[in-house]
Amino acid sequence: MLQIKNLHARIGDREILKGLDLTVNAGEIHAIMGPNGAGKSTLSYILAGKDDYEVTEGEVLLNGVNILEMEPNERATAGLFLAFQYPIEIPGVASMTFLRAALNAHRKARGEGEISTPDFMRVIKETSAKLNISTEMLKRPVNVGFSGGEKKRNEVMQMALLQPSIAILDETDSGLDIDALKVVSDGVNALRSPERSFVVITHYQRLLNYIVPDFVHVLSDGRIVASGGKELALELEKNGYAGFVQDAA
Amino acid sequence: METSDPMGTTTVLRTPAEETLLKRYPAEKASLPGAPAVASLRDGAFAAFEKVGLPHRRVEAWKYTDLRANLRTIAAPAGAPDHGRVQALPPAVPGDGARRIVVANGRVLADLSDLAGLEPGVSVRSLADALTHADAAVLAALEPIAEAADNVALAVNTAFMSDGVVVTIADGVRLERPIEIAHVTDGETAAATAVRNLVMVGAGATATVIETVESTSAAAHQSNIVTMMVVGDGAAVDHIRLQLEPFEAVSLTTLTVSIGANARFETFNAALGAGLARAQVFARFTGAAATGAFRGATLLSGRRHADTTLVVTHDAEGCESRELYKAVVDDEAKSVFQGRINVPAHAQKTDARMMTASLLLSDGAEAYAKPELEIFADDVQCGHGATCGALDDDLLFYMLARGISKTEAEKLLIIAYLGEAIDEVHNEAVREMLIHRIEAWLGKRVG
Repeated sequence: MLQIKNLHARIGDREILKGLDLTVNAGEIHAIMGPNGAGKSTLSYILAGKDDYEVTEGEVLLNGVNILEMEPNERATAGLFLAFQYPIEIPGVASMTFLRAALNAHRKARGEGEISTPDFMRVIKETSAKLNISTEMLKRPVNVGFSGGEKKRNEVMQMALLQPSIAILDETDSGLDIDALKVVSDGVNALRSPERSFVVITHYQRLLNYIVPDFVHVLSDGRIVASGGKELALELEKNGYAGFVQDAA
Repeated sequence: METSDPMGTTTVLRTPAEETLLKRYPAEKASLPGAPAVASLRDGAFAAFEKVGLPHRRVEAWKYTDLRANLRTIAAPAGAPDHGRVQALPPAVPGDGARRIVVANGRVLADLSDLAGLEPGVSVRSLADALTHADAAVLAALEPIAEAADNVALAVNTAFMSDGVVVTIADGVRLERPIEIAHVTDGETAAATAVRNLVMVGAGATATVIETVESTSAAAHQSNIVTMMVVGDGAAVDHIRLQLEPFEAVSLTTLTVSIGANARFETFNAALGAGLARAQVFARFTGAAATGAFRGATLLSGRRHADTTLVVTHDAEGCESRELYKAVVDDEAKSVFQGRINVPAHAQKTDARMMTASLLLSDGAEAYAKPELEIFADDVQCGHGATCGALDDDLLFYMLARGISKTEAEKLLIIAYLGEAIDEVHNEAVREMLIHRIEAWLGKRVG
């Protein structure tokens, strides 16, 4: 599904990723944990194609295709989804217009025609019901005036609509209270399938009680320095990152 | 021809355009409509122009739009239009249901205008007729408000005005159907027109007036259109101007309005056409507790230049004004906004907020903003803001990350950006037409 091989990347003169390797197979959930500044968010932005970063070495294969040469929108329609740590507010663009444009872009990439208004309304209604998300917030411009929880729910809503083959969740738990965390996690769990993989980036083990990973990796100083099962997250919670950071140094 | 400057140190050469105007007026004045009283009004206005010539960059009000440098030639006076070609022009605002009055090549064309079954209390006449009959009310209405008194474009219009529409709406008449004044220049060779419209809305009346400015061809036409409005006490008036000429054209439009007590007046200017355009608004609140909204959207590409100049005087207590002008500037185009709000000492409890914003889509695009507040009263709320910038990369990336193409994302963001001003237009047909035009404009953009 997703293979990251020897990925090196920098922003300006600062090298942030220093040879990162990761393989995610279909249906798996991988958690990436690590201290501040380890390169967690950089990894998510590089995968999604933000052009602030320069990839100097390595490749990223999505279903066998190197996505590093692709535009961000092409990566999205190829099946990659990034749930943002800080979803962006877009004043003046109605949520429904935005969702429809995104859905139509995916349809176009698949060679399908634009979705009809009744079909679109039905999909929105079904998806929001399934995820227990109120359609009330979709009457507002994209993320404008949304609470932290609403913004994250909106990310899950978009993920459910666009049906990616791999979803990167960048610190989806940040800024969420327990109730919101549960709604968001339930949404993600509802989207689990043998064909869909997730990379869950988080600081804290807490999220992994709700979204239970198959593998846990420790990212430190731009590399994966340790990998294990979900018990690794519990160990990190207990002992902190200190041991791994030193190992890496 | 030479003229001495006030310092007497140099002589200023007239530009070819000025020379043409100086020759044209004496040659044409006998054929311009109006009784002797009108002729002396024209003479006075032309003398005022003759004294200063075309405005240039050292004249503060024209600092960014130098007509002396940019108006190389003056087109010949427009000849008779071809009625068939004018009629064949598709309606600028489909579905607005308006009563359309056509002013082509500076003449009201009664045969193409919808004058049948005028609502009781509504009168629509030709200005040329009114001038010929020296109609006292019309002559009085030609006197500009103080804000526009020394404006050169207005003075030239007064000297050369050939015709226009005089609309009078009696007290208390609630006009459902918009009145649309369609300004058209027809002909393959460049032609100049000077049109003057007068719209007088009585106390407590309501009306919507839409003005469109178009051409039947891509000739380098020059239009100078002045519309003077009087909004009676308690009246509610919406004014919309859609500036749609081809990019070869030069377009000077002026709106003057005096707003009575407790009235509501809103104007919206869409600057979508002409290579060199200046839209002027001069407004005065003459009675207490009125509200006014002045808004506009400008779309510029190529090497086009569009100037919005606004002067609003709160000459009464407790009036509220809102000013919002947004521009999208691409290529090497240049957008200018000059806005001034005057609040004299007696205009206590004034509430005025002026905002202008420019979105620059290319490295070569330019935007100039000059907001000014002149406040002498001490119990007021006034504010102004001006912003200028590119599309936000974070917004674009978020949309791209959802699969939306760059072109589509930019389109959504630009429509949203202008939407802040356009959404305030009450007339739905106009809003739809504007969105449609913006989409077409964006479709033509080279990524």
